[in-house]
Amino acid sequence: MILVGELSLWVALLMAAWTTTVSFSGGLQGRPDLVKSGERALYATFGFTLLASIGLWTALFMHDFSIKFVASYTSTNLPKIYTFTAFWAGQSGSMLFWALILTAYSAIAVFSNRKTNRAMMPYVTGTLGIICLFFLMTMCFGANPYERLDWIPPEGRGMNPQLQNPGMAIHPPMLYLGLVGTAIPFAFAIGALVTRQLDAQWLGAVRRWALLSWFFLTIGIVLGMWWAYVELGWAGYWAWDAVENSSFLPWLTITAFLHSIMIQEKRGMLRKWNVTLVAMSFLLTILGTFITRSGIIESVHAFAQSPVGDWFLVFLIAAAVATAYLVSTRLNDLQANAELESMVSREAAFLYNNLVLIGICFATLWGVLFPILSEWVKGDKITVGPPFFNAVNGPLGLLLLALTGIGPLIAWRRASTTNLKRQFTWPVISGVVTFTVLFALGMRQMYALVSYLLAGFVFGTIIQEFVKGIDARRRMYGEGLFSASMRLVGRNRRRYGGYIVHFGVAILFCAFAGLMFKKDLTATLKAGESVKAKDAYGSEWVFTSQGISSFEQLNRRVVAASFNVTRDGKNMGILSSEKRQHVNAAGEATFEPSTEVGILESPKQDVYLVFTGAVDRETAAIHINFNPLVWWVWFGGIIMAFGGLIVMWPQALRAEREGGYVAELPSESTATLVGAGA
Amino acid sequence: MLSGKSSRDSSRDAWCESRRLFLSRAGSVVVVAAGSLLLARTGRAQDAATPQAATAPGGEEMTSDSYKPVSRPAKPNAAKQMDEKQLEAFERNLACPCPCTLDIYTCRTTDFNCGISPAVHGDIQRLVDGGYNADEIMTAMTQTYGDFILMQPRKQGFNLLAWFAPFAAIALGAVAIGVLLRSWRRNADVAAAKRASEPVRLDTSVNATPDELARLQAAVREER
Repeated sequence: MILVGELSLWVALLMAAWTTTVSFSGGLQGRPDLVKSGERALYATFGFTLLASIGLWTALFMHDFSIKFVASYTSTNLPKIYTFTAFWAGQSGSMLFWALILTAYSAIAVFSNRKTNRAMMPYVTGTLGIICLFFLMTMCFGANPYERLDWIPPEGRGMNPQLQNPGMAIHPPMLYLGLVGTAIPFAFAIGALVTRQLDAQWLGAVRRWALLSWFFLTIGIVLGMWWAYVELGWAGYWAWDAVENSSFLPWLTITAFLHSIMIQEKRGMLRKWNVTLVAMSFLLTILGTFITRSGIIESVHAFAQSPVGDWFLVFLIAAAVATAYLVSTRLNDLQANAELESMVSREAAFLYNNLVLIGICFATLWGVLFPILSEWVKGDKITVGPPFFNAVNGPLGLLLLALTGIGPLIAWRRASTTNLKRQFTWPVISGVVTFTVLFALGMRQMYALVSYLLAGFVFGTIIQEFVKGIDARRRMYGEGLFSASMRLVGRNRRRYGGYIVHFGVAILFCAFAGLMFKKDLTATLKAGESVKAKDAYGSEWVFTSQGISSFEQLNRRVVAASFNVTRDGKNMGILSSEKRQHVNAAGEATFEPSTEVGILESPKQDVYLVFTGAVDRETAAIHINFNPLVWWVWFGGIIMAFGGLIVMWPQALRAEREGGYVAELPSESTATLVGAGA
Repeated sequence: MLSGKSSRDSSRDAWCESRRLFLSRAGSVVVVAAGSLLLARTGRAQDAATPQAATAPGGEEMTSDSYKPVSRPAKPNAAKQMDEKQLEAFERNLACPCPCTLDIYTCRTTDFNCGISPAVHGDIQRLVDGGYNADEIMTAMTQTYGDFILMQPRKQGFNLLAWFAPFAAIALGAVAIGVLLRSWRRNADVAAAKRASEPVRLDTSVNATPDELARLQAAVREER
C-alpha cells in the first residue's frame, strides 16, 4: 500500500498536468470532448491523491521508519489518535493533506457544475488543475512525504508533545479546509474573467464556497487560539504571530467579499472589486504559506526553511500577474452602471465596512512584512511585535464594531431622517446605558469602555432587528413567539444568520476588552506556603502549595505542582500544573519538557496557573494569571460558527405558501419588506 | 537524513540542559550566565557556518539571534531605580531573542525551555542592582542587540512609516470611496433627470377624469 501511495503521487501529478492542458485547449477550441476529458482527469487527480494519502496513513500506522516523515514525527508508543493526526504534523505531510483537500474540493466543485456554467467551466477546471499541479509538484520535487532514509532507525523521534492535544488534532484540518477553500472562488473568478461572463451568475457558484471557506477559517482560527491558550502557557490566545496573521488575512478579505457580494447581487455594482477580493483571498493564502514556510519571518510555528518557500513565491507572483492581466484587459466588461441615491445608504455602509476590513488586512500584512522592508532599506533588524498590532488594529477593530451596528440600521438606496431616528434610538440607548453602568461601577479604562459602548450598541441593533421581525410575523401570521422566531430565521437565513455572526463578533470584542484588566504575579512556594493575590473584581485569592509530586503516565514522566485555592475565604478546589517530559518506547527523553497549565475556568475569569519550574524537590516557581472573560472568546467563536452554519444551510426550494399567499420574492427582499414594514 | 539533524540536536540538548540547570539552581545566576555564554558561542559558531538563520537540513526548528551578555560596572552608592513591578513592565517592552516572538517577561514566566530570557533577565536585574534607570538599561540593551530587542519599532525616522502607512492607506481609501460615491450619486441624478423629462405614458382609456390622470402622472413621476 505504501508503494502504491508513493506511485499514486506521481500519477496524480500527471493527471493534474493532463487536466490543465486539455481543459484550457478544450475551452479555447470549443471541443466538449477535451473538456470532458479534463474534468475526468481532475476526478482522477483526486482519486490518486487520496490513494497517496491512504499510503502515508498506512506507513504511519505500520511505523515504517524507513520513511523520513514517519521517523520524524511518530514513535511506536504514540497514541493511535495522534498517529493519525501526525499526517499533518510536518511540512511534507501537511502539503499532501493540503493537496488532498484541494483535489477533493475541486472534484466536488466541478461535479456540482457538470451541467451548469458550461462556457466557464473548462477554465475553472483548468485553473484548479494548475493549482493542484503546483501542490503536487512541490511535493514530488520539493518536499516528498515518501522520502526515504538511507538507514532504518529502530524508533521514530515521536511527536512534539505540544501537538499532542485535541485542539491541535482538529485545528490544522479546519484551517486547511478554510484556506484551501479560497482556491475554488479564485478558479471561478478566473473562469468568469476569461469568458467575460462577469454578471451576477458566477457569484452564485462562488458565494457558497466563500462561505464554506469563511466558516472553516473561523473555526480553525478560534481553535488555534484555544490551543495556544491551554497549551503554550503564556496565558494569551493571540500574539500576532506571522502564522496566526497569515490565516487572519484571507479571513478578512473573505469577510469583506461576503458583504460586498450583496451589493453586486442587489444592484449589479462593485464587479471589479468583488473579483479583486476573491483573487486577493487566494493570493493571501499563498502568500501566508510562503511567509511561514520560507523562514523569512520568525514564528513560533517553526517550519523548515525549505525550497518549498521559493516555489510558493514563484507561484504567487505568477498567479498575481495572471490575475492582474485578466482584470486589466476586461475592465470594460466589469464596468457597471453604478447609481447611488444617497450617501446615507446600506451601499455606502458596506463600502466603508470593506474599507475597514481591508485596512486591518493591510495593517496586519504591513506589520508582518515591515521587518523585511526595514532590513532591506536600512540594513538593521527590527521587531514588530504585538504592541504594534494592538495599537494599529485596536482602533480599526472598534471602527469595524461600530459599523457592525450601523450597517443593518441603514436602509438600502436611501435612508430618510425619520427612518434613521426610528432605527437608531434603541441601539444607541443600549450602548449608552452599557457605558454608564460600567462607568458607575468604577471602570475607567477608556479603550474598554468604548468597546463595551459599541458592543452594547451592536447588541441593541441585533435585538431590535429580531424583535421587529418576530413582531411582524406574529402580527401577520398570528404565530407564537417560538415558531415566529424559528420561522423568521429559517426563512431569511442569510440575513438573520448574519446577525447571529455579528452577535458572536460583539461577544468576542467584549472578551478582548476583558483582557485589559488582566493581572498576574510570580511566586516561589515551598510546600505549605501560600501567596495572596487580588483579581480585577477585587476578590482576594490565596494559593497554598500542596507540594510537588512526580509520577509516570502513558508516554511521559510528570512533575506536578498542586495548589489549594480559595477566593475570599471560600474553597475553590485544587489547581495543578504539570511539567511533562515525554519519553520514547525505550524510556529515553524526547523533546524538551512541556508544561501543562492549570486553569480554573468560569465565565467571569480564568485563573491560569503555570508551573514554571521546580527550584528544589518541594519548592515550585509559579506564574499566576487572572484573565477576565476569556471564556467568552470560545463562546463567541461558537456563536459565529453557528451563525455561519445557519447562513450556509441550504434554503428549502419549495415556494413558501402561507394562508393562500404565495411569496415568490427572493428571500432577502422579503426580509427587507418585513424589516421596513415593522 | 535523520542523521543530518544530529548537530542541531546536540545544540538543542545543550539548550534543554542549560534550562534545567537554570531551573534547579535558580539562585545561582553565575551558572546560567556561564551556560548561556557557552550557548552563545555555539550559536555564533553555527551562524558563522551558515550566514543566514541557522537551520540544519531537514531540521524543523530555527534559531535567530542568541544571548549576548550586557553588563555595566555598578554605580558608586548604587540605589535601585526600579521596583519589581516596574522591572516586569520594562521587560514586557523587550523582545526575547529566542524564536518565541514573545517579550522577555512573558517568555521567562512561561516554560518555553528558553535559556535566553532568564539570562537577559539576569543581566537586567544586575543593571538595576547596579543603580541604572530604565532609559540607561534600554540604551545598554539596544547597544548590544540593536533595535531588534524592542517589541515595537521606534516612532522615529524610517520606522515612522510602519506606524503611519496603515492609517494613511485607510485615509486614502476613505477619500477614494467618497469620490466614488459622489460619482455614483451624480449617475443617479442624471438618470433620474432623464426619466423625469420623459413623458409618462398612461393608458387614457381608463375611467378617470383628466384631473385624476394628471395627479396619477405626477405620482408616477415622483415614484421614479
